[in-house]
Amino acid sequence: MANKTSIQNMKLGLFVVLGTLLVLVASYLIGNRQNMFVQNFSVNAVFKNVNGLQVGNNVRFSGINIGTVDKIDMLNDTTIVVQMKVEKKMREHIRKNAIATIGSDGLVGSMLVNIVPGVGEAVSVEDGDRLESYSRISSQNMLNTLSVTNENAALLTSDLLRVTQSLTEGKGTLGKLLNDTKMADDLEQTIINLKYSSEKVSQTLDDLQILMKGAQSDQTITGMLLSDSISAQKLKNILINLDSSSIEINRTAQNLNQWVGEIKNGQGALQLVTQDTVLANQLMRTMQNIEEGTEKFNENMEALKHNFLTRGYFRKLEKEQKKANEN
Amino acid sequence: MDVKFNMVQKTKHFFEEIGDLSFFAARFFKQAVNPPFEFKELLRQCYQVGNRSLLLVMTTGFIIGLVLTLQTRPTLIEFGAVSWMPNMVGISIVREVGPVITALICSGKIASGFGAELGSMKVTEQIDAMEVSGTNPFKYLVVTRILAATLMLPLLVIFGDLIALYGSSLVEFFKGNVSFRLYFNKVFEALSFGDLIPATIKSFFFGFVIGLTGCYKGYKTGRGTAGVGIAANTAVVMASLLLFVVDFVAVFVSDIFYEL
Repeated sequence: MANKTSIQNMKLGLFVVLGTLLVLVASYLIGNRQNMFVQNFSVNAVFKNVNGLQVGNNVRFSGINIGTVDKIDMLNDTTIVVQMKVEKKMREHIRKNAIATIGSDGLVGSMLVNIVPGVGEAVSVEDGDRLESYSRISSQNMLNTLSVTNENAALLTSDLLRVTQSLTEGKGTLGKLLNDTKMADDLEQTIINLKYSSEKVSQTLDDLQILMKGAQSDQTITGMLLSDSISAQKLKNILINLDSSSIEINRTAQNLNQWVGEIKNGQGALQLVTQDTVLANQLMRTMQNIEEGTEKFNENMEALKHNFLTRGYFRKLEKEQKKANEN
Repeated sequence: MDVKFNMVQKTKHFFEEIGDLSFFAARFFKQAVNPPFEFKELLRQCYQVGNRSLLLVMTTGFIIGLVLTLQTRPTLIEFGAVSWMPNMVGISIVREVGPVITALICSGKIASGFGAELGSMKVTEQIDAMEVSGTNPFKYLVVTRILAATLMLPLLVIFGDLIALYGSSLVEFFKGNVSFRLYFNKVFEALSFGDLIPATIKSFFFGFVIGLTGCYKGYKTGRGTAGVGIAANTAVVMASLLLFVVDFVAVFVSDIFYEL
């Protein structure tokens, strides 16, 4: 019986000890979160608005929880002093030029004090130092700004509505562009043409490239002309000769002109032939007479062919002609 | 007329009961501070109340933590606030769910046990026999039991809380890939002494209420074996009801001391 009781008591003791230990551990963990069991030092910052910050809220330095808000005092209507309890081991990292701001832990989280390292070198903070601060934009200010933005957005959308209405009604250049099907067809055609042109240009450029390659490779006349110095010299000589030839031609042409002029103004046979109309008429008549005479002579000859005295001779001539043709 | 008479009788009976209970409580305090103290019996009762209820409390706590997390998860996911699960579950378990569930379980087990035990002793006139033999039955039977319940319940609540948080962290570990370390880090980040201390103080009162009603109902059992059953039954009902009244008062008072 006594043995049973002692086992029971031992079990009870274990239960009680474990339970008490649990309470102690939980208390320690909670206290540890509130920096109750670490050495602290205090810093403060002055704000105009603490945005609902409460005693016990976290203090963060570069995102690490280093302490809690210890006291919030209102000095006057625009000055609120926030006293912070910060772990002593963090003191060396926080410089005197650090800046304290009030932020919130996430979108719906509780408020906290953020200490941000300042720019440049500075010594570490001391116990009771006052940090620089700037007040965060309050949600009310944000809402006010948003309200202005909303009004602007409303104006913009009404303008946009007017513009789109004009567009759909076909007013203005853009409206016409959107609604005129003929213009659209024209544009399409223009684009097709442009496409065709660009293809051609591309082809031409290809050709030009081939030409340029040829020119570079000395195979073609252009290439030769461009690169062969002997040919160039020859060409130069030809050009010089051409030049002198043209001078000669010019001179000859001048002589010819002079000669023609002399003919025009002179009294020679040629002048008479070219200028005198009477002589021309006489000549014309003479020519007609000659023609008539020839016709009559032809008739006479035909008569001679049929005359019995001369007929043998002509037959002989025909036979010889035939023989020559057969051979 | 009959109904009205009945109502008056019931109201009268209700106040009588409250008055009786208050006298019983006053008698307990008077007897508790005056020697001699029954330490051995107190330890035995502590063992019966504490150790014997531990498994039950832990099982309930584990399931409660598990279920609470599983049920809350979809809603928190919908709001994209599933990372707040440890904070939410931690605070709700430590502040309210842990103490109340543990107390209700204990009222079922302990209050009914006390009621039945003392009731049967009363029916079998063992209590009268004790009085005759010179032992103070109130000191020996009632004071030790109420004290045992009062002292043990906070410990049971602590174990219940721990195991409930463990159950919750298991869900988060398997469903949300949250490590146990991160989970408990977040729980203790969310908790403050304002959550732990009122809950612990409250559970002392819960223990006291459970012990008091159990013993009161058992000590005042009527004649006959039927009375034992009634005593056990009414002890549980009354203890559960009083627990919520005490809980309300406790929350009300802690609300004044700690800005919630």
